[in-house]
Amino acid sequence: MSNVKRRKKEQGVKVSAGLQTKQTWLPYALLLPCFVFFIVFSFWPFIKSIYLSFTLTDMFGKAVKWVGTFNYLRVLKNPEFWNMMKVTFVFALMVGAGTFLVSMIFALLSVDQVKGGKIYQVMFSLPMAIASVPASSVFIFLLSRDGIINRFLGVSIDWFGDAKMAIFAIAFVTIWSHVGSSYLYLLVGFRNVPMDLRESARLDGAGWWASVKNILIPIASPQIFFVIFLNILNSFKAFSYFKLLTGSGVGGSTDVLIYQIYKQAFGLSRFETACVYSVFLFIVIFIFTRLQFAFEKRMVHYQ
Amino acid sequence: MRSRKQYTQNLALFLKVATGMTFIFPILVGVVFSFMPSRVLYSLPTWSEYWEQVSFENYKWVFNNIPVFRYIFNTFVVCAIVIVCQILFSSLAAYAFANFEFKGKVFLFTLIQVAMMIPGEVTIITNYMQVYSWGLIDTYLGLSITSMIAGTSIFMMRQTFLSQVKDIKEAAVLDGCGEMRYFIKMAMPLARPTIVSLILMRFIGIYNAYFWPLLVTNKDTMRTIQVGMARLVGTDMPEYGLILAGAVLCIIPSVVVFILGQDYLVKGMSDGAVKG
Repeated sequence: MSNVKRRKKEQGVKVSAGLQTKQTWLPYALLLPCFVFFIVFSFWPFIKSIYLSFTLTDMFGKAVKWVGTFNYLRVLKNPEFWNMMKVTFVFALMVGAGTFLVSMIFALLSVDQVKGGKIYQVMFSLPMAIASVPASSVFIFLLSRDGIINRFLGVSIDWFGDAKMAIFAIAFVTIWSHVGSSYLYLLVGFRNVPMDLRESARLDGAGWWASVKNILIPIASPQIFFVIFLNILNSFKAFSYFKLLTGSGVGGSTDVLIYQIYKQAFGLSRFETACVYSVFLFIVIFIFTRLQFAFEKRMVHYQ
Repeated sequence: MRSRKQYTQNLALFLKVATGMTFIFPILVGVVFSFMPSRVLYSLPTWSEYWEQVSFENYKWVFNNIPVFRYIFNTFVVCAIVIVCQILFSSLAAYAFANFEFKGKVFLFTLIQVAMMIPGEVTIITNYMQVYSWGLIDTYLGLSITSMIAGTSIFMMRQTFLSQVKDIKEAAVLDGCGEMRYFIKMAMPLARPTIVSLILMRFIGIYNAYFWPLLVTNKDTMRTIQVGMARLVGTDMPEYGLILAGAVLCIIPSVVVFILGQDYLVKGMSDGAVKG
């Protein structure tokens, strides 16, 4: 697969090099709009966030005074910050593992293309079309104190209001809404496996699990790694469910980085703290993205 | 023998559909109970009670008290702006990368990859301040401006342009066809499947967006559907019937697009993200 693409790419470069036009300004003109947007809405605000994290800001977010690393030291000394990092990573682990497991099961169930298979394919992926707001509405109803789930389980838990349970309940809803896209990615990976390969393995007497373990999973390994990291990375950016399901939060037990960024800036007008947290969020996401690249390079070389 | 195989196949299909039903059970419950008055929903009704109580009251209330159509209109406007800008800007940039050799090409391409390493969530506070200082709060421009370009769109379009057969272009250029004319007349129409995937992906993304619209809208008339409907959720005495009716109205457009565009979406996802 990668060989074919690489070959294609080389061809593309070679041929287009032969076609090189004389208007040397044209490619730059074509790139101009996209770079204007990248600079104005990505690079510049990123630099500004870093700058503001070293200053004190007024209630409108204007820098008043340069204070060096003061904000960072203050944040790092605060036990609440470390609790927040812990919650962030526990949440990432739960969402990453949970989404991967469920989407893997669904994808394995739908590897074989059969008549009527489209029905469950749509069902398994449907939640990815459901926004966080309607999903929250439904789960607030289902998981309320007198809700259907509690009745079914015979308990009376206020899932989103209980300091111990809220993070699990939010992770549950997040997993539910993330499964759809992961499932489709995995399905694409599994469907890349040639039918005759699995057929011949079956004729050689390989059982279902053996063919999954030895054929499907190795060939779909790019998608598998992609999905694992995608869900971890997405969990760091999952803001909506924290805002919608807990309202103003239940103590510190549901404080994740992204939610605290919002709260510091718009609840408390502490823009410099919000920027410090933004920088930390960037570092966390950056590390996991690098890890993803490293894994892709090392692990995914089966074909 | 054959009938037995048939039987196992049907059973498997049934079990898989049942699993799917369990998975989307929350949505089904939401739809079913959106027709019940809120006061009934604090305790679970029996079937006969359900059929006695079922009504469109919640929907009537939502339509009479919440400007649903205004919200949907706002959301569609934002979706349209974002989609048009993204397709335009990203295909222009992608065309430059795919069809030209120029000084700094590698550097500029790396720069885009660097930009993609900065997630929007990290810059959301400073972007908000920027947009606020420009007076773009409660405007369509403010709602859409930060989403007008995306690295993944450029990647997808570039991949598509690279895969287009170059012989046609050679012939066209020999016949005196200019670069931009070729771009408009040939390259873009040939890229239609990718463009459709992009449109669908961005529609669902922007239609469902919550964080950014929450920050940049204050006026009720400028709210998008998600932010508008979220107001139903955050109350102390939840009116479940109304919440669920709002949720059902909210998901109809995105679910319809999702089901109709399923194949294109899957194609777009497999092209855009995973390097095989």
